[in-house]
Amino acid sequence: MLGGIDLAAGREYNRPVEEQDRLDIQASCDGDQEAFRRLVERHQQQVAGLLWRFTRDRNTLEELAQEVFVQAYFSLSSFRHEGSFAGWLSRIATRVGYRFWKKQARSNVEYSIQEADLIEQPEAIEDIDPAAAGKVVHWLLDQLREADRLVLTLMYFEGQSTEQIAQRMGWNRAMVKMRAYRARKKLRDLAERQGLRETLGWIR
Amino acid sequence: MDTLNRIEKLISRARGERPPSIDVADRVLWRIRVATASPAPVPIAPWGVLAGLSAVAASIILFLAINAWMALSNPMMELYRPVMVASLW
Repeated sequence: MLGGIDLAAGREYNRPVEEQDRLDIQASCDGDQEAFRRLVERHQQQVAGLLWRFTRDRNTLEELAQEVFVQAYFSLSSFRHEGSFAGWLSRIATRVGYRFWKKQARSNVEYSIQEADLIEQPEAIEDIDPAAAGKVVHWLLDQLREADRLVLTLMYFEGQSTEQIAQRMGWNRAMVKMRAYRARKKLRDLAERQGLRETLGWIR
Repeated sequence: MDTLNRIEKLISRARGERPPSIDVADRVLWRIRVATASPAPVPIAPWGVLAGLSAVAASIILFLAINAWMALSNPMMELYRPVMVASLW
């Protein structure tokens, strides 16, 4: 539909995404729920991409995504158009994901190296299936405390700097920096305790 | 190579993972409609009837109570009466 014409809505879609977002946000604020539907349809995959770092369960992913958009709808009037709508949604999604982690009681399951064994030793890192790599990384990060996990998730997967993380979460920047340093150390210790040094020894 | 570097390489590979595609638009709009729907108005007629019946019952009780009050006599009067008669002498 992007770049084409949506005949049902009878509107042109040649405009850049930001412009379409602006118009749909305005219409949504005026009570046009179909405009909000267009916003959801345009951004739901991006939100799913971020939330997939918070859960590996498809049903939970959909519930969290719904929560993000419902919260976005009711806060829409506070959106100032200073940044992109996608960025604003990412901030909401991060908070929703983080709250989900905090609500979840940390399971006392004994973590085993089984997940890492899913990766058969390939010739090169490029030969690994990204989904298998994602599963191992998620399993590994899952053993950290929520705040450490969040900092590393945003740093590694979203490419966020400590300043951006601090801004997104309303945290102190120095605290985020310290947490990132400690979290990386914990991650390394954890991986070594789990015997990942040998399991991933083939990675050069 | 450090273990952390190996993990970071694994993470960079994991970054290419595609999340499952979702379609939550219908559910989102349904949840919004539910949340914004005004609550159903409370029917007032049964409450009006109940209030009317209570008022009628209260009026009857009030009527009986006033009559009973008026019919009351001072029980001490039985003691004073002989004295009052004696003073007439």
